[in-house]
Amino acid sequence: MTTNGEGAEMEARGPPSLHLSTRNGNFLGKHRLSAAISRLNQEIQYLQEELNELETMEPSSAACKEILLSTEGKPDAFLPVTPGPENAAWHRWFQRVRSPHSRKWWTHKGSSDIL
Amino acid sequence: MSFSELKDRHVAATAMVNTLRDRLNQKRQQLLDTDVAGYAKSQGRTAVNFSSTDLVCCRTLQGHTGKVYSLDWTPEKNRIVSASQDGRLIIWNALTSQKTHAIKLPCAWVMTCSFAPNGYSVACGGLDSECSIFNLNSQVDRDGNLPVSRVLTGHKGYVSSCEFVRDQDTRLITGSGDQTCVLWDVTTGQRISVFGGEFPSGHTSDVLSISINSSNSNMFVSGSCDATARLWDTRIASRAIRTYHGHHGDVNTVKFFPDGQRFGTGSDDGTCRLFDMRTGHQLQVYSQQQANNDQDVPIVTSIAFSISGRLLFAGYSNGDCYVWDTLLAEIWAFGGHRKVI
Repeated sequence: MTTNGEGAEMEARGPPSLHLSTRNGNFLGKHRLSAAISRLNQEIQYLQEELNELETMEPSSAACKEILLSTEGKPDAFLPVTPGPENAAWHRWFQRVRSPHSRKWWTHKGSSDIL
Repeated sequence: MSFSELKDRHVAATAMVNTLRDRLNQKRQQLLDTDVAGYAKSQGRTAVNFSSTDLVCCRTLQGHTGKVYSLDWTPEKNRIVSASQDGRLIIWNALTSQKTHAIKLPCAWVMTCSFAPNGYSVACGGLDSECSIFNLNSQVDRDGNLPVSRVLTGHKGYVSSCEFVRDQDTRLITGSGDQTCVLWDVTTGQRISVFGGEFPSGHTSDVLSISINSSNSNMFVSGSCDATARLWDTRIASRAIRTYHGHHGDVNTVKFFPDGQRFGTGSDDGTCRLFDMRTGHQLQVYSQQQANNDQDVPIVTSIAFSISGRLLFAGYSNGDCYVWDTLLAEIWAFGGHRKVI
């Protein structure tokens, strides 16, 4: 996983208004600067909490295993081959249905339009 | 404290944040012992094999005269609401392709729509910074238009996405260009909670997309121009539960994985990614990127998972729609042609 360097840099630089004001010549009240520092301190606290969490966190393979189990257990009408039982509700999309307002009949061999 | 002392503190705090971020990224890298494709292959799995007759268009819903920006199904999966910048919402009977309602919108610049769980109401929002609710059973006015039954006002920027909370017809979540997400009570029009904005763990740029967890409707994820996705608990507005880094550009679309424990994202960086909700791990990157010039890579505009999660459908800015095998990270274009990346 690559670092999102750009985003991180933008956030750590402070809120956009702070950045713009500094660029325009330091026309910034002490209050706003204090508020920005408070937000950064809060961010530091959250980041430290997350670092602590990572000490005891399981690696990605655990989640990968769960994904495999969860996807392979569920019937999926889009798959060429899928576990049963057959879901009767799927058939309604392939039955001939007459639209009351047109002469068109829809069958499973529709147009080859890209969705 | 003097102004220059405060500035020094600000510089120091900024440096500390950057140091901690780097350390976090390194630690996370160490925990990524495999991605989904690597694990699936190690377990002997092979990619789904589509033939040209396997994915066939069975309905084409024609009627909008402008770009369709958004659509949503009813929970029974028999009706659809679609929103277009021709200034209308259309409600379709998906089985017969019949239009049951064509709603003229007060603001044509609509970006999102959602069907209420009871199937009687729809919501939409866009550049007017409001979310409008229509009751489909209302009497039409003299001009034959369905009246707006409720307007949710309060966002200070465009409404990019909205979704009704699945087991509650009265609650809706919106994402906005004002960098916040809001949980609304639709019956009163009041904001129940605001996620982000004043608080440090909120998004730092426009929110482009939200997705509510179908397994636990207290949780939702948001995607933003700040290149991150964030997880929120609707009961805790004061801070995001987790922030997910990895994308190099706007996160245009987020969708929960069917198991409710993972979610997918699509971005301006041309990739889709799968994140683990609980740990924050980036489990897989779905990337077509082969050109040396980044400008050639089309951006991901919208994604959806099939019911098992095995397939990830992704729409791109060049008009293509591809199907990814979520487990093996292999890609198919509609029409049955296989492209292995």
